[in-house]
Amino acid sequence: MGSAVIEVTDLLKVYPGDRKSEPVTAVDSITFSVGEGEFFGFLGPNGAGKTTTIRVLATLLRATSGLAIVAGHDVAREPAFVRRLVGFAMQTVAVDIMGTGRENLELIGRLHRVPGPELRRRVDELLELMGLTAVATKLAGTYSGGMKRRLDLASALVHRPRVLFLDEPTEGLDPQSRTALWEELLRVRAAGTTMFLTTHYMEEADRLCDRLAIIDHGRIAIEGSPAELKRGIGSDTIVLTLAGDESDGLVAAQESVARLLVGFEPLTGSEATPTGVRLSVNHAHAVIPEVLRRLDTGGVRVAGLSMAEPTLDDVFLRYCGTRIREEAADRPIELGWY
Amino acid sequence: MSALTAFAHETRWLGLRTIRRFYRVPANPVSIVLFPLIQLFVFSQLFKDIVQLPGFGGQSSYLAYLAPGQIVFTVFFAVSWTGGNLLYDYRNGFLDKMRVAPVNRYSILAGELVPLFFECMVMAGTILVVSVLLGAEVATGLPGAVLILILSGAFGVAWSGVSFVPALVTKNEQATGTLSLLLFPIAFMSTAFVPTALMPDWLQTVNRWNPISYVIEALRSLMSTGFDWVAIGQAFVAIALLGVVLQGATLLAFRRLTN
Repeated sequence: MGSAVIEVTDLLKVYPGDRKSEPVTAVDSITFSVGEGEFFGFLGPNGAGKTTTIRVLATLLRATSGLAIVAGHDVAREPAFVRRLVGFAMQTVAVDIMGTGRENLELIGRLHRVPGPELRRRVDELLELMGLTAVATKLAGTYSGGMKRRLDLASALVHRPRVLFLDEPTEGLDPQSRTALWEELLRVRAAGTTMFLTTHYMEEADRLCDRLAIIDHGRIAIEGSPAELKRGIGSDTIVLTLAGDESDGLVAAQESVARLLVGFEPLTGSEATPTGVRLSVNHAHAVIPEVLRRLDTGGVRVAGLSMAEPTLDDVFLRYCGTRIREEAADRPIELGWY
Repeated sequence: MSALTAFAHETRWLGLRTIRRFYRVPANPVSIVLFPLIQLFVFSQLFKDIVQLPGFGGQSSYLAYLAPGQIVFTVFFAVSWTGGNLLYDYRNGFLDKMRVAPVNRYSILAGELVPLFFECMVMAGTILVVSVLLGAEVATGLPGAVLILILSGAFGVAWSGVSFVPALVTKNEQATGTLSLLLFPIAFMSTAFVPTALMPDWLQTVNRWNPISYVIEALRSLMSTGFDWVAIGQAFVAIALLGVVLQGATLLAFRRLTN
């Protein structure tokens, strides 16, 4: 990681309220930076402030206060300079449906002043990279969802941006197209482009990002590499289902478990669940037999057991207190025109 | 690159895209030719004998009288839907994509308006050519005909603000359509079909303030009498006023939308 390409300090965005709605603080004084060539991500649920942040950084939206420097220029004071150096693949795929794939890319290239001969070469190269060569002369309106996504991504790359902003780039794609797009993103990054991604898919953040920030309610809860963050959770999880229900001995069983495991070295934490307990332990594989032996000796009846290594979802749970809501947006997409 | 060449460069490529978008929907190129022709045919038949009324001052053919009115009338209607295109780009995110490119936002508007200028010229030209084929004459010859086309294009661009403003303010296609409908009577009240002499007093007064009538009268003089520079000057002033008010409002609305 080299010098910082994106530097954000105390960024605040409040959407003013009107007669029908209260003011909303979408981004609540966040500070972070992204190094040259780094693949950085914002992981968080819908409505966390990801899109607002990325739109401010891409010069589409003015922040209420705070400072954002992208590729050496203040996005508020010198948006024209920033625009020359960044590419933005938006959450909603925006292609000109009445233009062919090639025409779409050429238009964006022309607007970025890529000279003619170089533009043709570059467009050929991108069509090839995105697997669109065969349909280059077909109208983009006839493309499938995945093809439109790839065309949109290609159009953000025509002018070889120094920074590529990706807002939920695989939203709405089937698993196969998603994996393919990940590969393409990693290739783009391998060419030296700094990448800024927002997503609410943990596997996506895990697979792509060198470093990520977990964001919820407009604040950064924690940041680090995916491995670091998961290691920070410290341990694997064992979920035990205990016999009995709330009226019939479940609470007593949960208390017994806690008592029986007092002083058990690998245990780093435990909590009650509606059907039993969740234990955090180091090296779950090795200690499960001992856990079960202790419980058996103490007369606790175990009805089921599952085990998991920590995921980014656990990290999210730890720092934000809830699970990432993976279902569709329960708040309107932050178009952020005002 | 100076600001002006940058503006020209951006307008050129965005304008070419606008034209592409237009002619690739076959209904568009067909209708800009058919719409004026149908109108010309229907109205010339409908009011065929009206020229015998004294107010027409000895005009022998209603066609020669009608053609200029019909040009302005057609342009008037045709530009009533243009704001919808920008709205479509706004809604599906393409406007954002253009804004993220190093493009002056006014180039985006110009990329809509410059092609519109030529589109209106094509419609005016169609009516002119057909009228001549049917026996009408252009008194001022080719230079006058060119001036008719330029006035028509300029009027179309200025008047298109009545579609852009509601589009940008309401951000709703239906509202854009219905709001520009409200202005249709202005065209019907103009001198497109009948001379002011045949109108009731109050309508004559209205038409002294109707910019559309001034454009029509200038075209009419070019078509049937000669270069009446007073009428032509008045038409340009009327178009300029319309342009300043309507396109000024469009600019403001566009600024608000893209801030």
